[in-house]
Amino acid sequence: MPKRKLDPLPSAAFQILLSLAGEDLHGYAIMRQVADQTEGRMRLGPGTLYSSIQTLLEGKFIEEVDSREDTRLGHERRRYYRLTSAGRKLARSEAERLASLLRVARAKKIFRGDHV
Amino acid sequence: MSEKIYVWLLRLYPSRFREAYGDEALQLFRDRARDEKGFFASVRLWLDLLVDLAVSVPRQYRHANPALIGASAQQRLDRLPSFHVLESESPRLGALLSGGVLTLVALWGVSVLNGHAGNDPPQGASVAQSQAPAYASSAFSGPTPQAANDVEEETTASLQSRMYGTNPQSGDANPGNFQSNPFLSPKGSEFSQPQAQPPKVQAAAQDDDVKLGAAERHRVIAGAIAILKEDYIDPAVAQKTADALLAHEKSGDDDAATDGAAFADLLTRQMADASHDQYLVMVYYRVTPPDRPRGPPPPELVAQYRKEMEQNNCTFERVKILPHNIGYLKFNSFPDVSICRPTVVAAMAQLNHVDAIIFDLRDNHGGSVEMVALIATYLFDHPAHMNDFYDRKENSTEESWTLPPIPGNKLVDKPAYVLTSGSSFSAAEAFSYDLKMLKRVTLVGETTSGRGHMGLPHRIDDHFAIRVPGIRAINPISKTNWAGTGVEPDVKVKAEDALATAEKLAENKPRKK
Repeated sequence: MPKRKLDPLPSAAFQILLSLAGEDLHGYAIMRQVADQTEGRMRLGPGTLYSSIQTLLEGKFIEEVDSREDTRLGHERRRYYRLTSAGRKLARSEAERLASLLRVARAKKIFRGDHV
Repeated sequence: MSEKIYVWLLRLYPSRFREAYGDEALQLFRDRARDEKGFFASVRLWLDLLVDLAVSVPRQYRHANPALIGASAQQRLDRLPSFHVLESESPRLGALLSGGVLTLVALWGVSVLNGHAGNDPPQGASVAQSQAPAYASSAFSGPTPQAANDVEEETTASLQSRMYGTNPQSGDANPGNFQSNPFLSPKGSEFSQPQAQPPKVQAAAQDDDVKLGAAERHRVIAGAIAILKEDYIDPAVAQKTADALLAHEKSGDDDAATDGAAFADLLTRQMADASHDQYLVMVYYRVTPPDRPRGPPPPELVAQYRKEMEQNNCTFERVKILPHNIGYLKFNSFPDVSICRPTVVAAMAQLNHVDAIIFDLRDNHGGSVEMVALIATYLFDHPAHMNDFYDRKENSTEESWTLPPIPGNKLVDKPAYVLTSGSSFSAAEAFSYDLKMLKRVTLVGETTSGRGHMGLPHRIDDHFAIRVPGIRAINPISKTNWAGTGVEPDVKVKAEDALATAEKLAENKPRKK
């Protein structure tokens, strides 16, 4: 049995897909983007980040694009990653799943007020 | 300094991950270390790293087959079922160990269940049990095909003289090897196969938990002793065994055995201790098997046997010519001659011009005496006296000879080698032993298992039977056989080294042209 799967999609993998939805990013930028979009709750360590990236690459949900420098961070060449259409589809299906969950939660009046 | 520590920690990851992402991980560490300065930030960084290590290192080691990981997610998108072979890596030692332990437990469980199901004790697995589960399923619709299959009456004893039994332990161990069917008599005339019509199972005999009292036990012991004394090949051993059974009964050794299967096991052990004959076996039937009719087996069984032999090339696994013009023939049983003669003739014709021949019997589990004689015929320019079968009850001896020389056969004076292993059984042992006694072959490999003679079950009552070997193979040269001791090889090497050893011997032997 594969011990590491994308079904169900781990939250780290989902966050990485989301982080790449806007632009191609390198590892550290993904980590920072994920930290931003989760308001600092998820700080991906190198092991988790790159094993998730590895899994997503193997599933062809993201792809590597030409490595280049990130001038804001110095002169090291960095590998950049891009969301594939399969990755976008996967992220969308996960988002829809969460949205339908949200509808249920809303219907059950889990939330206070109407702001969600 | 802290970077060095992290480099060292990175070594905890599997090399595959380090090669792919080691540099990136280190780069990410550097980026964070550069951006997150100050005491609290550093502490948080290291906490993050340690948590990350704790989570991701085990996951990397569990990571089985990357190529398949995407498939399950893909499957979710497509909503289609898909199936994959998942393991491409060899299992870890720990997994192997726990798997081994589980297997042992499962085997133990199965044997316990078997014991309580009323079939033969494992050591007594008979020809019937070990041979042809397919036959049982096709021939029976009754609830206990196997038990029924086991029933053999004394009338079929003559069959023993022509069929060796096969490995009692090999019944299901090796599905690829169909073992020769000892029910098929070489002449096709005398099968001891169960009848085709469904068995009549007596309702009264289906009582699952027959509790045995002293009187029932005595009756069974007395019945067993009567059959032993009448039929067992060696009257002195029969007497000794009978005395031992009575002594055990008298001293109260049997008192605890109130369950039929346990009692049968106990008596089997007692008989084995006294006789040293593992074929002397008590059989317990939870459900009374039907009486065996006499006469030939149903044609569908013959047809099925024929079909199986055709499918597996009569168990002739390999026929080839090795370097230095050494013929190599590996066959895993001695199948019925009436069906498999053409296979043997074709194989031997293919090897007719070799300078030496190797018969590989390391996985051979026995079969027909006629087939033993037929294959041995290729090694002689005259009919050779292979073996005698002494039937105690009939007080008669049947001789087994090779056939008249085969015209055009060039193997008669070629060096011949037989490869043996601890799994060579019965007819394979006869072939090895008899040809060794005739000094016609060199045996290379391991001592064989030592299954000299088989016992067919003789019914004592509805629930008990005793297997009593009634026929003994007596080699005309040694005046004895391999029972109990096995056949000693001339060149003793491990079974897996036997072929290489025999090839060397054959290469170095001066050739007769």
